[in-house]
Amino acid sequence: MDSQHTVRSFDEDLAHVDRLIREMSELAGAMVASATGSLVGSDNALAQRVIADDKAMDARQRALDESAIALIAKRQPVAQDLRAVVGAIRMAADLERIGDLAKNIAKRVAAVGEGGTPRNLAHSIEAMSKLVLEQIRGAIEAYVARDAGALERLRDRDEDIDIKYTSVFRELLTYMMEDPRNITACTHLLFCAKNLERIGDHVTNIAENAYYVVTGALLPLARPKRDETTPAA
Amino acid sequence: MTQMMTIEPATTHATRHATGRPKIEVRNLDFHYGTSRALKDISLSLPERSVTAFIGPSGCGKSTLLRVFNRIYELYPGQKASGEVLLDGVNILDRKQDLNLLRAKIGMVFQKPTPFPMTIYENIAFGVRLYEKLTKAELDGRVEDALRRAALWDEVKDKLDASGLSLSGGQQQRLCIARTVAVKPEVILLDEPASALDPISTAKIEELIEELQADYTIVIVTHNMQQAARVSRQTAFMYLGELIEFADTETIFTSPREKRTQDYITGRFG
Repeated sequence: MDSQHTVRSFDEDLAHVDRLIREMSELAGAMVASATGSLVGSDNALAQRVIADDKAMDARQRALDESAIALIAKRQPVAQDLRAVVGAIRMAADLERIGDLAKNIAKRVAAVGEGGTPRNLAHSIEAMSKLVLEQIRGAIEAYVARDAGALERLRDRDEDIDIKYTSVFRELLTYMMEDPRNITACTHLLFCAKNLERIGDHVTNIAENAYYVVTGALLPLARPKRDETTPAA
Repeated sequence: MTQMMTIEPATTHATRHATGRPKIEVRNLDFHYGTSRALKDISLSLPERSVTAFIGPSGCGKSTLLRVFNRIYELYPGQKASGEVLLDGVNILDRKQDLNLLRAKIGMVFQKPTPFPMTIYENIAFGVRLYEKLTKAELDGRVEDALRRAALWDEVKDKLDASGLSLSGGQQQRLCIARTVAVKPEVILLDEPASALDPISTAKIEELIEELQADYTIVIVTHNMQQAARVSRQTAFMYLGELIEFADTETIFTSPREKRTQDYITGRFG
């Protein structure tokens, strides 16, 4: 681990920012898990908890921003310290967006629930959610362990989520064509799947920022992109 | 034989790069205070018309290195430099080097303002007369030009006959810079030029350094790392007489390669 600053309160300030990032990551993971759980199980009470958690997430992001800005003003960080603070601000923004997207999923639970979630579809969404959760947990573990190699591999794994999203998209389309009465539920599920795919992108951003914090270098811009549901630009 | 440290261009983002050719090239420089070896095999290349900062803890050799550039160390017995310091390709450590000529080319400003106990006008004219025969009108013009370059003209133009010592600390330091600039040097060495000044005077000096680099090669020694980050294009970190890392200032302050550099600039040293 890094040696300590001569001024010890500087270490405490940095540790505080780091602690907030970990808390936000844990909350983000829990929100995504609960949002998917409430969707698959038509659990309205659980969905309401996710919606309430989003407020806690926003409050933490604000607390992190304030701490980070105060740290910059007071300490004028450079090198690894500067990267840690700037990285934390960016990662917090992505975590906050993950919270928003989880909330969006939770908000659809009531709408989907009326028609009931078709079993096989629930399974696909669950599988996709599992991939996303692994990414969120992997990102924060690699960040805490300052493991640049793991962060790089993690970013590349976003491709799996994109592939999964494409297959869920096709499944839902098929389902809608089979029976128009599925259209309402499937449309909501489509948005949920898209939200999960977007969460994957935010985890990718987090991995890229964490990589910069750890190494001081930027990952190459090109990364795998396998969402085939939209026409190529 | 150690590799010459030169600046590698940053690849990831646009930087204010010094593109000038090398003005000063230091090759395998050693320096001794008596038996104590203060500089150890230093090699680096300072680009023309650009600001280079030397940073490092007390006793690291940064001021010693600066003092080699105009051979001011020769004023003291028992101090010896070996190796090469090339100014435009000519080794200034060569015995045959004319010291007066060298010091006309390489001006120096010290930590504490050192105005001569004479008028503001004479503080500047005095040095110019040593090197050049100018008419009164030419000399007046040179004094005004130097004071303008040092951003002091507007503050002193109505009291050029007042004593240089009557100015504030910050003004005195700018007077010293004007005095240095007046003899038309090519290189300006700044040894902690703002450490005795308040923040506003410091900002004026930094603004001045920024402007002067269009015409001069500037080397600054400073304990204030934020100042090095603000004013320089490249930064050399020194420790115990060695050059540890020399790179683009943005690289040094965002992603230094050496752990010792990182520990020093982030305040984790010792």
